[in-house]
Amino acid sequence: MMKNKWNILAFALPLALAAVPAKADLLDDVKSRGQLVCGTLGTSQPFSFQDDSRQLVGYDVDICKLVADKIGVKVEYKLLSVAARIPELNGGRVDIVAANLGWSPDRAGQIDFSHKYYVTPQKLLVLDSSDIQTIEDLKGKRIGATKGSSSEREIKNRLPDSRVIGYADSPATFLSLQQRKVDAQFASELVLVRLVNESPEGRPTRILEKAVMEEPWGLGVRKGEGAFLAAVNEALDEAEKSGEAEKLFNKWFGPDTAYKLKRSFVIEPLPAS
Amino acid sequence: MIDLIREYWLTFLIGQYPNGPLGGLAMTIILAFCGLLASFPIAVLFALARVSPWKALRIVSGTVVNFVRGIPLLMLIFWCYFAIPLATGYAVSGFWTLVCALTIYEAAYLSEVVRSGIQAIPKGQLEASRSLGGSYALTMRSVVLPQALFNVLPGMASQFVSTIKETSLGYVISVNELTFAANQVNNLVLTQPLQVFTILACIYFVLCFSLTQVLGRIEAAIRRRRGLI
Amino acid sequence: MTFLSPDQIEQLLWGLRTTVFLFAASWVLSFTVALILVTVRAANIAPLRWAVDIFVAYHRNVPLLVHVLFWYFAVPEVLPEPIRFWLYDHGAEFSLAAIALGLGSSAYVSEDIRSGLRAIPHTQFEAATALGCGYIQSMRYIIVPQALRISLPPLIGRALLLFKNTSVAMAIGVAELTYQTREIENETFQTFTVFGIATVLYLMGTFLITAFGSWLNARVSVSNGRRA
Repeated sequence: MMKNKWNILAFALPLALAAVPAKADLLDDVKSRGQLVCGTLGTSQPFSFQDDSRQLVGYDVDICKLVADKIGVKVEYKLLSVAARIPELNGGRVDIVAANLGWSPDRAGQIDFSHKYYVTPQKLLVLDSSDIQTIEDLKGKRIGATKGSSSEREIKNRLPDSRVIGYADSPATFLSLQQRKVDAQFASELVLVRLVNESPEGRPTRILEKAVMEEPWGLGVRKGEGAFLAAVNEALDEAEKSGEAEKLFNKWFGPDTAYKLKRSFVIEPLPAS
Repeated sequence: MIDLIREYWLTFLIGQYPNGPLGGLAMTIILAFCGLLASFPIAVLFALARVSPWKALRIVSGTVVNFVRGIPLLMLIFWCYFAIPLATGYAVSGFWTLVCALTIYEAAYLSEVVRSGIQAIPKGQLEASRSLGGSYALTMRSVVLPQALFNVLPGMASQFVSTIKETSLGYVISVNELTFAANQVNNLVLTQPLQVFTILACIYFVLCFSLTQVLGRIEAAIRRRRGLI
Repeated sequence: MTFLSPDQIEQLLWGLRTTVFLFAASWVLSFTVALILVTVRAANIAPLRWAVDIFVAYHRNVPLLVHVLFWYFAVPEVLPEPIRFWLYDHGAEFSLAAIALGLGSSAYVSEDIRSGLRAIPHTQFEAATALGCGYIQSMRYIIVPQALRISLPPLIGRALLLFKNTSVAMAIGVAELTYQTREIENETFQTFTVFGIATVLYLMGTFLITAFGSWLNARVSVSNGRRA
């Protein structure tokens, strides 16, 4: 097999270097096409999901529509899996990605982020019977998180002595919490609210009030498309000023929804990479 | 445990169908079947390439087979998970991702089974056919392959059983199969993981064990028919 | 193309380390259990033989992931509380994964050794007995060493599979190589770089095991004219 090693490299490297197609200018391209191709998840309520009439709806979906409207083109949605969103964007198959994209410096090295258009508080869930009251009480304890939730590193920074264990999905993490394999579950507030409601009788859970961190989300844009990114940001800023953005937030998360969230952010620039 | 089975047997068998996607045991069997069916022609092609008279072809096919056999199936599943949408331009469902990964993985292992079958055919047969004027392709197609494939039927059968077991890894990319269904039940009940996972293990055991037994019988029958015993 | 930061490389290597430890721990367990299984079965006492057969059939016909989930989510529930929480405090993920992997593999290893044993003529056992060796002694010094040598090639194959199968432990949060790869991929979005590196690391692992196997095989092979 040794002599095969170089063949293997020859096989893997082109994939690893999967090239970014060189295009003139995305903004011109989108305008001449008359169409903005927006990548979104389709499986993430209330951001992007199919309603009863199998129509794609949600906060992310509306934000894409808003951007396309401001640029003056039609919008076309493309459903992506969580894993495929960045490869698809960098491969040039979608122009913009609105798909639960939490900002982090590392990620900002791979793609450009628009201004933040959503902020999700990341909180901790504990068994009601436990004596954990604050984040600091979890020092040296075990914390479960969903693998692939972007904030595992953050919690390691906040609580250096604790152990973070990543599970396949949030139900598996919740089971571990119920079995006391972990002392707390770390996830976004939206997920935790649902889990509290679903807790089995006799084993209630509660959310620690204080958020561990806030994860800002941006729209993802390919690197090196300055004019396009500027147009997107302009669209978002305009929507913030006119109140459209707030209306969208209330439509999906506001008092009339199951979430009853208050908007705690405004659309504004994220740190540069 | 009886209560669990009574309440959730449909979930174990067919998932949410017909109110939602088909899943559970039915999906596990479909996955394994698709995987084996798709990998079979590829495996034969690779086996032929590995015994072909052309050195370059032998090297390339050998490299690919050893490459696939050298990495965990889980890694391959993730590669497919990322690379297929990129290669095809479509968001591919977990089902097809898993079928692709299983196909590639099984093709590599199955090609070794087929190759051993081909190499077990006495060289004299190949030479006889060639000296009668048969081309290489004709010799392979009508003389070597029919015998070789027939002889390795038992090997292919046991490969089917391992494919069934491997479909369980679909759980990691949320493919709605048996292990996934069991986890769903487990998350609904929460308080009886021991019972849920015992049921899960039992289903796999009954399925694979009975398959192994049946296939063993068939193998014995074939060997008797061919006068090998 | 940007490359991974030193931190992330280190994270990957920690993953590799965990993979190697997990492989080593589960291999030792699997080999030990397999030897016990083979010995018990060779004793030819019906109930014991059935027990071993059921153990082997169970582990051969149930997927590894199910063993891993069973050991992690189900088995601790029947342990007494102090033991359970002691386990949770001391890396339950790793040890339970090692047990699941080891037992799963032991079923196959024991079958491999058994076919090796069957290749040893019974006369050798009789000769050993005639020379005054007890059952355990004949097994320990005469039969098993020869059987192991014969079953070396399939055993290397099992070790290879076990090494690759350690990746399944990621499902219960063991931070091995595949787990760390997923983590870094998610943090950095450098999908193909991270998975490329991890793939090469796995290939190096399987290559090393194969090479070690060939070396060992050449060293102990009877056809080489060497004595054990």
